[in-house]
Amino acid sequence: MTGKKRLIFTLLLLGSFSLFAQNVHQHEGDSHDAEQENLHGEEEAHGEEINVSQVMLEHILDSHDWHITDIPSGTDEQGHTEYAPIALHLPWMIYDTEAGFVFASNTHALLEKGYLPYEMSVLKLNPGVDSHGLVDEHGHAHLHDIEVFKAENVNEEATVIDMSITKTALQMILIGLLLLVVFTSVARAYTRREGQAPKGLQSLMELIIVFLREEVAKPYLGANANRFFPYLLTLFFFIWFSNLFGLLPFNSNIAGNISVTAALAVLTFIITQFNGSKDHWKHVFNTPGVPWWLKFGIPLMPLVEFIGLFTKPFALAVRLFANITAGHFMVLGLVSLIFIMGDNGTSMAGGLGIMPLSVLFTMVIFALEMIVAIIQPFIFTLLTAVFIGMAMETHDDHHH
Amino acid sequence: MIITPSFGLFFWTAVIFLLFFVLLRRFAWKPILNALGEREETIANSLKQADQARADMERLQADNQALLKEARAERDNMLKEAGQMKDQIIGEARKEAQAAAAAEREKARAQIEAEKNNALLEIKDTAATLAVSIAEKLLRKQFDNQAAQEEYAKSLISELNNN
Repeated sequence: MTGKKRLIFTLLLLGSFSLFAQNVHQHEGDSHDAEQENLHGEEEAHGEEINVSQVMLEHILDSHDWHITDIPSGTDEQGHTEYAPIALHLPWMIYDTEAGFVFASNTHALLEKGYLPYEMSVLKLNPGVDSHGLVDEHGHAHLHDIEVFKAENVNEEATVIDMSITKTALQMILIGLLLLVVFTSVARAYTRREGQAPKGLQSLMELIIVFLREEVAKPYLGANANRFFPYLLTLFFFIWFSNLFGLLPFNSNIAGNISVTAALAVLTFIITQFNGSKDHWKHVFNTPGVPWWLKFGIPLMPLVEFIGLFTKPFALAVRLFANITAGHFMVLGLVSLIFIMGDNGTSMAGGLGIMPLSVLFTMVIFALEMIVAIIQPFIFTLLTAVFIGMAMETHDDHHH
Repeated sequence: MIITPSFGLFFWTAVIFLLFFVLLRRFAWKPILNALGEREETIANSLKQADQARADMERLQADNQALLKEARAERDNMLKEAGQMKDQIIGEARKEAQAAAAAEREKARAQIEAEKNNALLEIKDTAATLAVSIAEKLLRKQFDNQAAQEEYAKSLISELNNN
């Protein structure tokens, strides 16, 4: 194992620690009602608790804050350590059918406006801020208070469309910029080192690009390979880079968002249908080799074929989403084992006991995820090529 | 929740992806794929040229071989011709020499013959003179009749000449 990877694991573990610590603080001293008991689990006797599934979801889900970690910022009157988050607070852009367009520079500012778009857990407020009853008598922001705030302010009648550039969207822009930097430099290498053998990054990427062209684009798209190859390349590298960065601490798991994979699958779907040949549509609505009454009497076959058009991209989106999310849950769950066995920090022996096993398993899963990180974009790209190729195929009717 | 798609993220994903797709296609994929295509073409051409060069080389080698063979044959021919010429020259020289020698011999023989004939004639003359004088002396003593004796002697000499 190289030093670099070890660093990654260490960072991952450290990142998890800091978030748990933050959560401990957030829930401390809360008086829970029944609903919150349900959401956050049993409270420990000493007043600290970790809700593992909550923390795991926080790592998985998209957010309006790019949270890095929390640092101790002092102690409150009861002697407990206070934490201040190190985070990039992202702006909100909302269209509300009742309130119209709502813009706010961050979550805090949005809450200060007295507006909550929908029910949500706002965990990452700066402690000590005064925002309309969000702060308790000790100057702490509490989830409980926000819940109260929420109940009063959310307009159930309104339809809210959240168009904010969230953490995942921002991460995607960064991934896109990285792709641009990497591949324009690779492209420059071809002009700078013209007529010479490829070298370094150029030869690595060339290997992948040529592999995709020979094994994906050409076999399934044939004569149209060149037309769709840039799209396939973008898909592959975009998802692959996203997955690799998603494995690093502090980064969003882009392809673990169903919205992201759905958008990519919809793009593939649109390209597929817009390039569908006459035979493709004939196959859907007048499938050759099927008894006429199944097509025009009882239109079962066209129905099945029509549904089939949508199940393909649906499977595409769900496969990628589920694979990436599952990997993240595995890693997070295994790391969380330390905190579960450590009994929220009360049992040092339990925590230390499980730690070697937890770290070992995390390493194994992490290695597996590195493989999944490249296999999934490959499958997505391959199936995209297959779907487009199938739709563009022109059959000779005499074959049927 | 986790499986609830959010329209905002869906929308931004599509926008961001398409934006970077266009940018990457323009600034990365096109130059890279063009360069790869050019290089593949260059490699294919180079291979073809190498094949051609090999074929050319083989042909040249065959040509060389043929030339060499020809040269060797020519050399052999020249050697043979030279040999023939040598033989011929030697033969001619010998023939000439022989002829010259033969002519010389012939000349010598003719000379000897002539000398011999001369000598014979001289001997005959001398013999005749001697015979006559001897006979004269003999006859003078024996015969008084000068005239009849001379007549007889003359007939004898003419008889000698006729021989």
